[in-house]
Amino acid sequence: MGMKYRRYLAGERIYGCSKCKTHLATIHSMVSRAFNGQHGRAYLFDGVVNVVEGDPNDRQMTTGNHTVRDIYCVKCATILGWKYDRAYEASQKYKEGKYILERNLLVDVQ
Amino acid sequence: MVSLASQPEPVNSETKAIADARPTRQGPASRLESATEPSQITATSRHSILQTQPPSSLVPSTRPRALVEDSEGDSTPAAPSDSPRAYKRQRIDCQTNPPSGSTVLSAIDRTSCTQNPSTDRMFIPRPDKPSTSSVSIDTISEAGPSSITLDKAPRSNGITTINGFKPNGSSPTSNGISKHSSSVARVSLPGTTLYDDPYVDREEFVRLVIQSLRDVGYNESAATLEAESGYSLEAPEVTEFRQHILNADWANAESLLSHLTAVDEEAIWEAHFLIGRQKYLELLEARKTAAALQVLRNELAPLSTNAEQLHALSSLIMCSDPEDLRRRASWDGASGTSRQTLLSEMQHFIPSTTMIPSRRLAALLTQSRYYQREHCLYHNAPMNAASFSLFSDHHCDREDFPCVTTTVLDVHTDEVWNVAWSHDGLRLASASKDKTAIIWRIGPDAEPSSRECVVEFTLREHPFPVGALAWSLDDSILATSADQLILLWDTKTGKCMQTLDSHSETVSALVWLPDGSGFMSASLDRKIFSWDMAGKLRDDWSGVPIRVTDMAVTPDMTRLVTVGMDYIAIPPTMADASRGVSREPTPPPPTSNGNDAAVVGSRPSENRMIVYDLKSKAIELSLPTDGELTSVKITEDSQFALINHAPDEVHLWDLNEGRLARKFTGQHQGHHVIRSCFGGIDGNFVVSGSEDRNVYVWHRDTGVLLEILPGHGVGSVNSVAWNPRNERMFASCSDDFTIRIWEPLPQYAAGGLLSSGNVGRNGKGKGKVRS
Repeated sequence: MGMKYRRYLAGERIYGCSKCKTHLATIHSMVSRAFNGQHGRAYLFDGVVNVVEGDPNDRQMTTGNHTVRDIYCVKCATILGWKYDRAYEASQKYKEGKYILERNLLVDVQ
Repeated sequence: MVSLASQPEPVNSETKAIADARPTRQGPASRLESATEPSQITATSRHSILQTQPPSSLVPSTRPRALVEDSEGDSTPAAPSDSPRAYKRQRIDCQTNPPSGSTVLSAIDRTSCTQNPSTDRMFIPRPDKPSTSSVSIDTISEAGPSSITLDKAPRSNGITTINGFKPNGSSPTSNGISKHSSSVARVSLPGTTLYDDPYVDREEFVRLVIQSLRDVGYNESAATLEAESGYSLEAPEVTEFRQHILNADWANAESLLSHLTAVDEEAIWEAHFLIGRQKYLELLEARKTAAALQVLRNELAPLSTNAEQLHALSSLIMCSDPEDLRRRASWDGASGTSRQTLLSEMQHFIPSTTMIPSRRLAALLTQSRYYQREHCLYHNAPMNAASFSLFSDHHCDREDFPCVTTTVLDVHTDEVWNVAWSHDGLRLASASKDKTAIIWRIGPDAEPSSRECVVEFTLREHPFPVGALAWSLDDSILATSADQLILLWDTKTGKCMQTLDSHSETVSALVWLPDGSGFMSASLDRKIFSWDMAGKLRDDWSGVPIRVTDMAVTPDMTRLVTVGMDYIAIPPTMADASRGVSREPTPPPPTSNGNDAAVVGSRPSENRMIVYDLKSKAIELSLPTDGELTSVKITEDSQFALINHAPDEVHLWDLNEGRLARKFTGQHQGHHVIRSCFGGIDGNFVVSGSEDRNVYVWHRDTGVLLEILPGHGVGSVNSVAWNPRNERMFASCSDDFTIRIWEPLPQYAAGGLLSSGNVGRNGKGKGKVRS
């Protein structure tokens, strides 16, 4: 892969990894707060940075079947949420390519 | 020469004595004769006379004949039309002498007579003086030069003195010269050029040769050449002028000056001012303050148009002692090189055809050497007589360039991101994503197949992948970075001595200071720290406007060159900086980076190179760049910085001029940290990693891509490092987990090496040698 520095975000509110404070997303890229994850509340984002994506697998969720990948912090490897590769339900297609970060694993790093 | 030949003196006789003795006997008389019977002997008859002249002929009989030549000019002011050289001389004389040359010259004669009776020898060349001034003569007279040479012989010793040779050694040869040259006939050649091409003037060439011969002490050969060619090194008054300057005979030097210069009056004033300045400083140095003051008032003040300059000179009177004076005047004193410096300054006012710049032939050869070196693309040999023969153009073979992998170091278990040689060139440190750094011992053996190549220490206590590496000046400490941590390792034991955690984000660069006082670290947290040898924080450069991705200190310790991203115009306040994360004061620009278009709030990374004055921390240069910057290296002379610039370019910046000097292209660089370095003799090569598995090599001064070296496996070649002690060896490291050592094709046992395949070099190191 080669060596790469982590990306740094700018903006009014930056969410980082609660363990190592690595920048992950800004409030500007947040799509929705109305999600639930394994640790409670979760946010849907348009894009996140500094994460490693795991292998895709199908998961049955409350809104139907989805192909998702777990996402890990690039620095400390904590599982932070997942990425939607594919939504089987047409009504859920808007999630494709978007990311879930669990609120309890985030910290403000402003 | 004739008169000297007649001197019965033994070889050891002192030259000055000869010179002084002669004029009293013949000098004045000869002048008289030359004036009264100028045309008694024709030019054609002179040859035969000279040729048949027995070396031991008596003075009375020979001298008049020699004089006749000198007088020829008086009788026939126009040079023979068939002599091309005469034209040349004519031109020069027109430049160098005012129209009323003869009167001026007689004035010179007077001054030298009246003021310097002891330098009577100056009279000897006088007879040809009028001829010089009357355009056609002086050395035109065919045998003239040799007689001049003769007369000048003692003074030409003075010339050699200038060039650092002992004057005494050459006096014996003076006799030899006279004997020898008296029997040398002038060779008449057609045309004015050396060969057929119109560029090399024969007279210029011969005079250069004469100068070189004199410089090294081949005075007899020089005299012979002068006689044979009819060209003399320089007019006698130039020799005198030089001698006057070196002897601090300012009055005579100044009186000669106007005859030597070809520049307008104002410029001559400047020359007089420079001479006056030297005189003034020497008087001050000798603590003759009153006399110095006289010079300042009566000579310098009327000449100077620059009040400030005059003021500065007058302030030197206050200097407490000569040492203080020399320091404040940036002048090395009468016994130093200041008079020679003055002479070379005089060169600005005296045409080079009149006074040839010192060691001119050597200067031309040096230029030729640099030209050949510049055109030698694979140049990797030291600049010495062995590699630069005058007999052939210099050329370095590609075979001598390190373009073959002689060793593959295959121990890391993940991507290798960085490599760095110890200063003694015997150890190589590598940094890997596998969270270790390895210190390899690369033996001094020139032959790769028998060279020791082992893992000396594996430095394991890194909690994160290892990025930066830096050896202390004495190689006793290796500093490594693992994300925001800095670790200091004892390279004798392989033990971690200290972990420094002052940075809050990835430490991207570690640099030991050239003065051995400690090291500096730079980080993506917008901070640069300075540490002492013991790992104590010495200085904190808060408020760096970029997240630093690499940094280098110039070897002369004047500048700190940083490159980075996320530039913010207003540096964060100290309070922000102390909290570790700096606040972004400006809202993000609306456009977004193509690469992360989806990430709202992410802005185009503003990449920038910032050059600091290392001592004052003032920003000297701050330049935005289009792409991401990932590596900085600096040339030995501190003038150029080599910077990797994504996408796909390496830039060479001239730090003194603050401009881009050259771009090296061809390698691939997208989003990864790719590093480059200088290499070879004089840093003649630029080498860079690349994302296409290859190592790229360019010729630094032309930007020509010399080599694309394949060998590494899938992924990027992340970094390269040239061995500081072996200009024919460098290392590269790659995502393929390996490090490759590159050298020229081994000259011996190359076949054996090729067939050796993968050979475990050492049980511990598992180093492998392939070809």
